[in-house]
Amino acid sequence: MTTLMSKPVSAPGKSVIERLNIVTAVVLGAVSAFVVWRLALQFLPADTEVRLFTREDKITLLSMVAWFIGFMTGIGALVGPFRWVMGKDLSHDENMFLAGKDMGVNRYFRYTTDHKVVGIQYLVITMVIFGIGGILAMLIRTNLGTPEGGWIHPQAYNSIVGTHGIIMIVGTIIMVTGPFGNFIMPIMIGARDMAFPRLNALSFWLIVAAAIPLIWAQFIGGISTGWSAYNPLAGQAPLGMNGYIMFICIFAISTMVAGANITTTIVRMRANGMTWNRTPIFIYGTMASVALALPAFPVFFLSQVMSAMDRALDTSFYNTAGGGSGWLYENLFWIMGHPEVYVILIPAVAALMEMAPVFTRRPLFSFNVAVMGIAGISGLSVLVWAHHMYISGWAPLLNAPFMLTTELISIPTGMLFLVLVGTLWRGRLWMTMPTMSIFALLWNFMIGGITGIYLSDVPADAFLHGSMYVTAHFHYTLMGAGLTGALAALVYWFPKMTGRMFDKKLSWISFWLVQIGFNVAFIGMFTVGLAGQPRRVESYASTFNTGNLITTIGAYTIMVGMLVLLHGVISSWRSGDKAPMNPWQAKTLEWTVPNPIPLENFDVLPTVTSDAYGYGKAKS
Amino acid sequence: MTDLMNSKKPQWWKSPDVKKTAILWVICTAIVGYVGTEFHVRSIVEPASETMTGVIDLMRIFTWAASPVAGLVFAICLTVLTSKRHYGDNPPAEADHQISNSPRANAVWIVVSALLCLFALITGLIVLQKDSEAVLESTAIQMNVTGSQWVWSFDYPNGARSEDLYLPVDKPVVFHITSVDVKHSFWIVQMGIKMDANPGAITEAAVTPNKIGVFDIRCAELCGLLHAYMQTKVHVVSQNDYDKWVAEHAALEGRA
Repeated sequence: MTTLMSKPVSAPGKSVIERLNIVTAVVLGAVSAFVVWRLALQFLPADTEVRLFTREDKITLLSMVAWFIGFMTGIGALVGPFRWVMGKDLSHDENMFLAGKDMGVNRYFRYTTDHKVVGIQYLVITMVIFGIGGILAMLIRTNLGTPEGGWIHPQAYNSIVGTHGIIMIVGTIIMVTGPFGNFIMPIMIGARDMAFPRLNALSFWLIVAAAIPLIWAQFIGGISTGWSAYNPLAGQAPLGMNGYIMFICIFAISTMVAGANITTTIVRMRANGMTWNRTPIFIYGTMASVALALPAFPVFFLSQVMSAMDRALDTSFYNTAGGGSGWLYENLFWIMGHPEVYVILIPAVAALMEMAPVFTRRPLFSFNVAVMGIAGISGLSVLVWAHHMYISGWAPLLNAPFMLTTELISIPTGMLFLVLVGTLWRGRLWMTMPTMSIFALLWNFMIGGITGIYLSDVPADAFLHGSMYVTAHFHYTLMGAGLTGALAALVYWFPKMTGRMFDKKLSWISFWLVQIGFNVAFIGMFTVGLAGQPRRVESYASTFNTGNLITTIGAYTIMVGMLVLLHGVISSWRSGDKAPMNPWQAKTLEWTVPNPIPLENFDVLPTVTSDAYGYGKAKS
Repeated sequence: MTDLMNSKKPQWWKSPDVKKTAILWVICTAIVGYVGTEFHVRSIVEPASETMTGVIDLMRIFTWAASPVAGLVFAICLTVLTSKRHYGDNPPAEADHQISNSPRANAVWIVVSALLCLFALITGLIVLQKDSEAVLESTAIQMNVTGSQWVWSFDYPNGARSEDLYLPVDKPVVFHITSVDVKHSFWIVQMGIKMDANPGAITEAAVTPNKIGVFDIRCAELCGLLHAYMQTKVHVVSQNDYDKWVAEHAALEGRA
């Protein structure tokens, strides 16, 4: 193992810390997985019961756990705790090494603690995730171009749908709080780094560790249950289900770690004078998102642990024959699942709120209402989960109360609209791709929101539930609103993150292709939903063909737009115009640091004396 | 709504952008309401029960109730987009005001959205109440529905059994739904009812078909390999035809 360090930092010779990188991690992970797999194969007793596959499930899960532990050890996650236990805590030089001081590009492949490195790592992995999820989406849409489907085997099709679902969910969860929450947020609040830099590195590398079981799963039967992995279907699914379970468990840990870290950073490390009333709205959005993940993801983790036990150890949490209940799984899943959609949505909307005053050159309208809206959505979002179960028959008497809480969410959501249109009103519009994204968000989120009202209504949901209408609805909210905000954030913060301006022309081309393609695709999907096409089908009655064809054409347009965007990212990053320190003339703190940003951001920590929205001419 | 302006100025409603927005608001509301309703009504299936007609009416009502809000947001967007726009790499001049709040606009917005929310809730509850009572109808035909991978089977009160559903027109039916393996969802598309079939539990749904014809039953919950093909037909026939059909099929079962 070569270290690419130019000079040794602490002790002479190479210390363990210097040797560890992604290569050692993958090697150690693979070796541990292989060893445990061999041992398990050798020593695990054969199944005595009639139930099939229990032994194989045990072997698969054990190997995956071994991969996980091996990988995390190999990347260096245990160095800090181990040294601390030995009573030899890391020296200052070692900490600087871990932060990636003078390491060039190699720091992106190590357990690097600098929040800016972690932010870039998150940005790249998010793009990879969207790339894979997008390819899977194109496979789905191509298969649905004709009624018979046909060229993808139903088992593979179901697995593609499930994998597309879960990795896009993960991608959208991290798409704003990952890259921008890690890179931009600490600078925006005037901090030198996150509160727990090592946890920051941990949360990123956990996602990398989680990816392998998901890929592994594709080769041992796939995830044929959809992203929700309902039991008892998940119980009879092939071995690939274990990959899903491990993926969720590791990702849940990552989210919890990141949530604790970001929350602490925001609460404890804001600059002098940055009172809550002077804290930028994007910070509120980030904090609401990760704070919501804190109660949600432990439940998700738990639900999957129980699922694994049902599969591998013959317990009966969800197995009706043994006294369990599929409804239990549904409850646990949606107790995570509903806050989770706001985990995705809130930071994206908040990012656009942050940009709105910059591109209209006027103050943010009703900061307090914006905060109240974010808080209201966060609070209510943990009380609405059973609207996913109106027609499950689980508790018909609870339908009315859950309809109440669900429809109440329209009030704080409306507040977000008020803030955005209020900020646009009488501003000086500076036409950029992020500016147009605000309008795109208002359009898409309006459609997503109103269709959400139909779905929140129990009698209407009895028709719409489980149809393509639902699929179109949540794509309008998560993609039409969420992803639009994230792409705007990418263009907006690109100059600070890479030191180069994003190619303007490419940003416009991709914006229009994605937005038009998106609306064509999902308006088409609404029509087939209303006409009665269920979700997650690999073939459909020929009456649905027109709508599906429209959706497929729209999907291809999105793909072209996304490829243009990818080209824009790569070409601008490599050879775009050098960005000035503050290209948008914005007033938040991240624009006060030079490009490239020094290791600890600020020489002298800033003091804040007003909010960041002092745009507009004062009345004379 | 026009309170978004500085409310202290006298006669704020006379300002040209406010007038423009007001006119656009009316137009946008009409367009959103009309297009939204037509989009749904034209795309949605032909109703074959009172329940489904109710669903369509709800969507019509909700679309019109939401259209002023959507109309206003779109009107403001259009006003802003058609006002002076700045292109270029450097920022435009600052806006000529520093308004960062309007308590009146906030209050109006929040109260109106709360009222709309209340309206949606009450409308929904009234229909929900009607649907829930239908399950208790004592004169209804009691039908047992069993989902299994990947067929539906129906057990009639007189012992008949089939994989195509036969129902008499204008007679209430209560379905007792269960599953033998994984979760399915029993959806009679044109009748607007859906209920999950859970292993180990019985759930209920009720409907009164009001049209003679053949309609679709589909599974609406991913249930494994052939989920897409788990569909069958419901034949709604006259009472006489129904009686004849079930008698024949009960006899078949008896002989078997």
